[in-house]
Amino acid sequence: MKIALPDGSRKEIAEKCARIEDILKQLGINPVEVIVAKNGRIVSEEETAGLEDELKIVRFVHGG
Amino acid sequence: MLDDAEKKRYSRQIRLFGEDGQEKLKRTGVFIAGAGGLGSVISLYMAAAGFGKIRIVDCDVVELSNLNRQILHANADVGRAKAQSAYETLTGINPEIEVEALVETISEDNIDQLLQGSNLIMDAMDNFPVRYLLNRAALQRKIPLFHGAISGYQGQATTIIPGKTACLRCIFPRAPPATTFPALGSTCGVIGSIQVTEAVKYVTGTGKLLENRLLFWDGLNGCLDEMACERNTACRECSDRVH
Repeated sequence: MKIALPDGSRKEIAEKCARIEDILKQLGINPVEVIVAKNGRIVSEEETAGLEDELKIVRFVHGG
Repeated sequence: MLDDAEKKRYSRQIRLFGEDGQEKLKRTGVFIAGAGGLGSVISLYMAAAGFGKIRIVDCDVVELSNLNRQILHANADVGRAKAQSAYETLTGINPEIEVEALVETISEDNIDQLLQGSNLIMDAMDNFPVRYLLNRAALQRKIPLFHGAISGYQGQATTIIPGKTACLRCIFPRAPPATTFPALGSTCGVIGSIQVTEAVKYVTGTGKLLENRLLFWDGLNGCLDEMACERNTACRECSDRVH
């Protein structure tokens, strides 16, 4: 699957089916600080992603 | 009815949504949570646009380190309550509207009272725990919440319509860790302006709202992006099981 990381870089990993939570762990990203879109749609950490999926991980902000 | 002075004051935007739209703005009460970076931009543009009743709430005093972005407040306001400074600036911009500025900490205990008479909620907070309170209050009252947040060059915004869109908790199930965030005035300008544009469109019934879309602004790279979102059927705040 293709992954767009919060720093703007891209990565490809060869996971057939993995939970978003585990993918974040593998990438060393704290799930509390990001939201993840699978094929353009925000998904929860419990969802899974496969080879054909595109993930985008964005660090959301909290200031005002 | 708009009087002659109001027709003149708002003539450029009446071209967008008519006198009928302007009257709708005049009849609308807004609650602005916070008079900081986002609250400054939001309240100034809402006052200038002629939202009839503005209630803005902030518990802090103006500090010198606020002035790079909190354009409601001037150098002479350092040490004064932000609410007081906000009141003077907003009534100075537009004396035709009703402004109420309160020195309060928004909490579970007072949120119902603070929202009395308000038709929409503007999120200008700097933390998620209070945002979740605003979200719950919006759901209970079935009034829209216009979310915005910033850090440095980055910001995000979305429009939450209870019963129709994902709520704040659907999109952000957990609060991020509280940290001191870098802040640039122009980022507040971008995000606060988007929030006000959404509120104007909602009230006047024009355009396409940021419903079920989370908009991201990356000022460092000059990029806008968006992600689709949807109601979480298991959301602890807005799922049918809760209401």
